[in-house]
Amino acid sequence: MSPKRIRLLIWKEFTQLRRDPLLIRLLLLMPVLQLILFGYVVAVDVRNLSTAVVDLDHSSTSRALESAFSGSGYFTITQHVASEDDLRPLLDRGTVKVALVIPEGTEARLTRGETAPIGIIVDGSDSQISAVGSGYASQIVAQFNTQRRDDLGIQVAAPSVDARVRVMFNPTLDPVNTMIPGLIAAIMMISLMVIMSQAVVKERESGTLEQMFVTPIKATEYLIGKLTPYAALATAQMLLVAAGGLFWFKVPFNGSIWVVLLGLFLFMFTCLGLGLLISLVSRTRHQAQQAVMFIMIPTMVLSGFIFPIASMPALIQPLTNLIPLTFALEVLRGAFVKGSDLAALAPQMLALVGFGVVIFGAAIVATRRRISE
Amino acid sequence: MTTPATAAPAIRASGLRRSFGDTLAVADLDLEVGEGAVFGLLGPDGAGKSTLIRMLATVLRPDGGEASVFGHSVTTQAALVTPRIGYMSQRFSMYPDLSVAENMDFFATIRGVSKADRRTRSASLLEGMGLAEFTKRQAQHLSGGMKQKLMLATTLMHEPDLLLLDEPTTGVDPVSRREFWRILAGLHRAGKTVLVATPYMDEAERCTQIAFLDNGRIKQFGTPDEIKARVPGRLVEVSATYPRAALAAVQGVPGVESAHLLGDVVRVLWSGAAEPEQALGAALAAAGVDGVGTREVAPDMETVFAYLAGTEVAV
Amino acid sequence: MRQALIRIGAIVRKEFRHLGRDPRMLLAVVITPVIQLLLFAYAISFDVDHVATIVIDFDKSPASQRYLQQYEGSPFFQVVAHGSSLADVDDAFDHNTARVAIVIPSGFARTLASDAAAQVSVLIDGSEPNAAKISQAYSVALNQLYGQQLTRDWADAQGLDLSSFGLLQPQIRTWYNPERRSSDFLIPGLMVVIIAIVTVQQTAVTLVRERDLGTQEQLEVSPMRRIELMVGKLLPWTLIAFLDVALITGLGRTLFNVPLRGDFWALAVGAALFVFASLGMGLLISAIAPTMDTANIMALLIAFLPSFLLSGFAFALDQIPAFLQWISYAFPARYMVTISRGVFLKGAGFAELWPEMVSLVVYALVMLAISSVLYGRRSRA
Repeated sequence: MSPKRIRLLIWKEFTQLRRDPLLIRLLLLMPVLQLILFGYVVAVDVRNLSTAVVDLDHSSTSRALESAFSGSGYFTITQHVASEDDLRPLLDRGTVKVALVIPEGTEARLTRGETAPIGIIVDGSDSQISAVGSGYASQIVAQFNTQRRDDLGIQVAAPSVDARVRVMFNPTLDPVNTMIPGLIAAIMMISLMVIMSQAVVKERESGTLEQMFVTPIKATEYLIGKLTPYAALATAQMLLVAAGGLFWFKVPFNGSIWVVLLGLFLFMFTCLGLGLLISLVSRTRHQAQQAVMFIMIPTMVLSGFIFPIASMPALIQPLTNLIPLTFALEVLRGAFVKGSDLAALAPQMLALVGFGVVIFGAAIVATRRRISE
Repeated sequence: MTTPATAAPAIRASGLRRSFGDTLAVADLDLEVGEGAVFGLLGPDGAGKSTLIRMLATVLRPDGGEASVFGHSVTTQAALVTPRIGYMSQRFSMYPDLSVAENMDFFATIRGVSKADRRTRSASLLEGMGLAEFTKRQAQHLSGGMKQKLMLATTLMHEPDLLLLDEPTTGVDPVSRREFWRILAGLHRAGKTVLVATPYMDEAERCTQIAFLDNGRIKQFGTPDEIKARVPGRLVEVSATYPRAALAAVQGVPGVESAHLLGDVVRVLWSGAAEPEQALGAALAAAGVDGVGTREVAPDMETVFAYLAGTEVAV
Repeated sequence: MRQALIRIGAIVRKEFRHLGRDPRMLLAVVITPVIQLLLFAYAISFDVDHVATIVIDFDKSPASQRYLQQYEGSPFFQVVAHGSSLADVDDAFDHNTARVAIVIPSGFARTLASDAAAQVSVLIDGSEPNAAKISQAYSVALNQLYGQQLTRDWADAQGLDLSSFGLLQPQIRTWYNPERRSSDFLIPGLMVVIIAIVTVQQTAVTLVRERDLGTQEQLEVSPMRRIELMVGKLLPWTLIAFLDVALITGLGRTLFNVPLRGDFWALAVGAALFVFASLGMGLLISAIAPTMDTANIMALLIAFLPSFLLSGFAFALDQIPAFLQWISYAFPARYMVTISRGVFLKGAGFAELWPEMVSLVVYALVMLAISSVLYGRRSRA
């Protein structure tokens, strides 16, 4: 390997990159912008659900129940309607997501010592809202019951179980803390793969690739030369985006910055490598584009970024291990939220290294084949 | 080819100007092309020929000046200009994955040629150009010459009155080139106007008028004969065993306007009163150059322009 | 007018020919979206169950065993390990082998026997907030139920009557999706996302390709108007994308039993409009982008993440900041997700969905208009 040739290739790439202002903007500015914009979307927590109340009881109990709901922070009471029939158009249009129906005679039943049913209607067309919303609602009713018992001074000296439920690592259960790190990785992946996938194909279409390969340049030299400027830019991007996420959204950081950086760095290389590989095996830029798209959609969907892997069918779960982003997410989420250290995350890091080795190995083979073609 | 008597201008341009960034491609250009002419645009690469043609074809907007085709402005009345022109660009502008027949049919349909006319015209055009047996072949699989002929055939489908051809024969084999010009000659006889940009000087001979473009300006203008007449003197070819020595010997001989090497002969422009063979022969002998032969040849465009390029002649 | 239609027809025929000659493209545009949808529809869900749970029983008494049976019997929790120390909990959470830990201190049974409230620790890994919230709710509910049961048993044994104390009992009804299958919720949205990405990308390159090929100039010197060119280029793709929608809807119904409660024609019209609008967006990119490179990159960036994140497909949009709401309306996917879910799940028809339909129409027209103007200006520039 000739360091001189490598240096020359690197210089050439840098010069070309510099003359492409769009690229710089795309690589550096857009990701940060996207992070901030989309961060707001992924960080949305299920709270302040617009709620309608149908109070047919008009008692102090029903009023107390209503304020229990509105005071919880999970439900915002926006409508009072006279009957259940009035609820249909509200839920159809999505004006309210939850409805609380307090039937007539509820308080009377309670005083008589009977069980009084309360209707809680959730909009099932949004499964997160329906699952979490109904969970909150049940909790509020349960707390209401307990509160009422205490208020009434009923002491029951009886055995019972007092469960202390504690949430570890993300006590506020704010999605921000787990989604932002994930978003950082996703944005990096997309921009790097898109840019990198065009890097070699461009040369093939303009004919300079052929020119290059009639020189004594070796496959590894070519790859290193190609990769280095992009890697430099990608590192800058990574730092910008990560810093942006941390500071703009005030994501709490419990772990080691080095673990995060190492994970991001390894992931960055797999993205660059994958893009490069696509670029090498594609004949036209359009083909490269298609290939990138083809890879990215499943990556977004199956990596655990949006949809939890634990919820996937058993058949699919092993497949998610074929996606580098899966491991990057585990590293980031582990480091950010759980404060996991290198030891705990070693398997994931190793997986990323493994990906890198395989991808770059394939890239070298592909380059050699091009040269000999 | 003869210059037609009627001079209603097919093209009239004045003060045309166009830049690309810092480069001034066409500078303050005036032009008039009469109907029925075969007008040749000559000039080196980057002279502005393509830019000029594209402005006339309405596909490029001039920065300044005016141009009109058949009396209609190319900038404000483009819709009246385009139906009457056929434009053939320098690069291959057909769909590579469509066949010869499909390409022709498509562009003719876009142009509004009726189905019946499309059938008859495409048949005769393809026949005339020798493409009849290639109708089903995809355009990307045609040779260079066939590609150009396809483009020309497609351009002719809507029977335009003015043809704007940007280097139609560049990269085409000599046989195809000759065929191409045979077709152009036929169009000329039918009264069509042709404006063709070409880097081949020999093709200039076949035009009724030519203009030489350099750096965005017209340096020479006129019929081939008129231009040739601007070169004083006669052209003499000197051959010798060592042509370089011959070149050195004849330069500086009084009466020699210019001399340059062309292959293995020296071309001398002789403006002296005496017969060139003697004077040159004397000089050559004096220099000790042997194997000498001199003969007079008719001045060709190449030499003419090479000479005139050193001189600015007011158009 | 007739001439215009003839010209548009010529463009449509040509575009179909291009497609026919490039089978790979056809594959990418028609088959791949369908395959991807099938794969993902099967794979993704928000449903949380079989949550991996680790149990640490320091008491090891019949009482604690009985308590733990609640968890072992529940379909929601799946006990995957029995630990012996708290360190095992840290370990499990660190390595993601469990997300919930139940710790029963020693003395559990003794406390119960003395008629007092025995403490139990439930630890939940919050790094997956959704699952954590649901786990939390389930856990609390489970404990309440068990506690009530204990009290009742004790009261019976004592001969006490606790019936004088009434309780509110929540009865939860889930509308539109009673079985709460998130696939019903996700598939209508997933269809929109995939088609949005594919269509925008395809059209974005189509105009630029003309420029690259050199054929654009020939088109310019013809009587063809820019708007005719745009419409001609959009129609074949509209048809193909529409084919995609039909295929996906059919497969969604038959393979995944996604209910179609509303007006199918509303879905069909909405889909056609959506495709047209997406293609319009692709056209706009095509008209703006100076090179094919840029067109590709822009299409990907504009179509990809926003389709996933700003369409309402996976993330609810009513809580996001106002300016982002505005931005989300700039993407046709947003409207189509509403239409799609409305028709599939909420039994909606034209009457309910006309605002979205009109928005799509306006969107498409605006895109077409801007594209026409910009396309011409750029080429003659």
